[in-house]
Amino acid sequence: MNRFVEQLTKTDGAGLGESFTGTGSAPAGLNFELASGSNPASFTQQYTDVASEKDARIKIAHGTTTLAFKFREGVLVATDSRATMGNIISSQSVKKVIEINPYLLGTMAGGAADCSFWERVLGMECRLYELRNKKRISVAAASKLLANLVYRYKGMGLSMGTMVAGWDDKGPGLYYVDSDGERLTNDLFSVGSGSTFAYGVLDSHYRYDMTVEEAKDLARKAIYHATHRDAYSGGVVRMYWVNENGWVAYPLEDVGELYYQYHPEIQLTNSTESPLRVNASA
Amino acid sequence: MEYNGSAIVAMVGKNCVAIAADKRLGQQALTVDMDFEKVFPMTDRTYIGLSGLATDVKTVHDTLRMRVNLYKHREERVIEPRTMAHMVSHMLYERRFGPYYIEPIIAGLDKNQKPFICGTDLIGCPNFPSDFVVTGTAGSNLFGMCESLWEPDLEADDLFETISQALLNAVDRDAVSGWGAVVHVITPEGVITREIKNRMD
Amino acid sequence: MDFVGIQQEFAHAPATERHTHNRWEPYVDNGGTSLAIAGADYVIVASDARQSNGFNINSRYDPKAFHLSNNAILATAGYAADAKRLVEVLEQNAQMYYHKHDRVMKTSAMAQMLSNTLYGRRFFPYYVFPILAGLDNEGKGALYCYDPVGNMERVVYQSFGSASALVQPFLDNVVGFKNQRGADPARLLERDQALKIAVDAFTGATERDIYTGDWLDIFIVDRNGVTHEKRELKHD
Repeated sequence: MNRFVEQLTKTDGAGLGESFTGTGSAPAGLNFELASGSNPASFTQQYTDVASEKDARIKIAHGTTTLAFKFREGVLVATDSRATMGNIISSQSVKKVIEINPYLLGTMAGGAADCSFWERVLGMECRLYELRNKKRISVAAASKLLANLVYRYKGMGLSMGTMVAGWDDKGPGLYYVDSDGERLTNDLFSVGSGSTFAYGVLDSHYRYDMTVEEAKDLARKAIYHATHRDAYSGGVVRMYWVNENGWVAYPLEDVGELYYQYHPEIQLTNSTESPLRVNASA
Repeated sequence: MEYNGSAIVAMVGKNCVAIAADKRLGQQALTVDMDFEKVFPMTDRTYIGLSGLATDVKTVHDTLRMRVNLYKHREERVIEPRTMAHMVSHMLYERRFGPYYIEPIIAGLDKNQKPFICGTDLIGCPNFPSDFVVTGTAGSNLFGMCESLWEPDLEADDLFETISQALLNAVDRDAVSGWGAVVHVITPEGVITREIKNRMD
Repeated sequence: MDFVGIQQEFAHAPATERHTHNRWEPYVDNGGTSLAIAGADYVIVASDARQSNGFNINSRYDPKAFHLSNNAILATAGYAADAKRLVEVLEQNAQMYYHKHDRVMKTSAMAQMLSNTLYGRRFFPYYVFPILAGLDNEGKGALYCYDPVGNMERVVYQSFGSASALVQPFLDNVVGFKNQRGADPARLLERDQALKIAVDAFTGATERDIYTGDWLDIFIVDRNGVTHEKRELKHD
């Protein structure tokens, strides 16, 4: 791993400040350049707004609804696709499900770059584990690997709220890992600014013995309701189902159309044919 | 001004004007209402759009309605759009050191059926452009849309299409406005009001 | 005339401005806008060339779209110094790659390398919003856009910079066919249409954004290589 990641990350040899490889020993060989000064961590947080959510100079994509739950036939993972910088929607087509390998998925909430980078590193670690041990890594081990990777950088301003979902010898696996070092397992999680809305729907209708179609309907509904009420969630619903053969991705569903599917009584045409009111008294 | 979220735009056409607004009322990220009125008819052919803090939108609308009615009784005639613009400007400047957090847009046809639009800042500095005015959290987005879509002398139907496209695409890049939209096209024959289809996220 | 609220307002006014002028400021926003549109067999990149600092114009022609050695274009926005450094780093690594593998770096490889380069400075970021434009393995237009710390997305069109709020909704409408009933959202534009839209977007942006203007650099990448064109924008 050392040489590879070093090449990927330490591209800027002659830097201004010192470099940082995380607290404790750094087997990963990751090497990040820091600003000069006595407290580089506060420097980072002053200029970037991932952790603080405040108005900083360097705006980094956030705002999210992601969810995942275990059910009779595996794990269902669903996300929205919006990224915002302040109140500006910077993208409506973000891929917030990261395909770590054919049987492991990670979700993206918080700093988009933090999630995609560290889950890419995790993908590499999982492959190395396979080569070393001649067997697939368990979801528990993979999620712990990720938790340990980001724990080295605790206090440096990383922002990552992720769910690792997969299938191993014990069956379906689902873990929540975040940049504070938290790592939990349960049947149901939702992460991001729209998670409270998603939980509202999920908790009302969740059953363990759902079929795949029922699970998809529930996930779609939860994401849809979150995008409807949360300004920082939106775009499309992206769904994955993890079963014993690995994950399956479903076609994207545009939230802009879902609203009118859930409310068929609303008939708006956007044309000049049928005005709502004509006030001819002028 | 970003607390509740809003997007309002007015455009001049050929013998007509249009004013359009989104319908969201939020508390920062939380969308509370999707049928919140921001554009109000003040006379038969003068409309005002109020963007900004929702509580002040209500207060300013109510106060202004009172003043417009008083004007009608005192002068025994309906207020002209330009007169109303100055009335609004004056009303806002009265609160120079503790302003209402709103930025209004006035659109209407005057007594000669000539299109009139006006925008002011929160303390009442007016501007009278000949093409379009925008206000709200999606103001920059609206400027970009209007600058590339608007052209002079649009007929009422084309003006409706232009202002609708400008508004819809602007609010789709703003997180805190949208959730439905309403368009009023003011013509000498009357006002045509349409609710238009919008992404609800 | 009575000024309501005048007493309260003055009572709450801060006594003095806090001193900040001795702090080290590593970042400057130099303004300017970049835009890119991908087509079936080409990609078009447009960047204005004004470089400013606050209300001052540093330069009327300081290009912020860069033609890289592998015939990809890197369009930037944000801090010009960081952008120029980023291009140097990228070019160095592309050269290293060439000598090591005896192969010109593909756009997709460079896209991932750019992401990793940006993330390598996660704790002292480049204040740059880059767009990487080139052709993919099948010869289609490939566009990758990034945030300053390396979050990457392949897109069909994108604009970054001081007028991005003005330009992006317009691109959504006419390039992404958003809010157009009956239009095929996957349709790609012809080259002359894309060029016209790019120029239109910048004429509009120049009208309202004080940081965008002077000159427009237009690059078109296709199977024959890269063409560059310089057009005039308003200088006010």
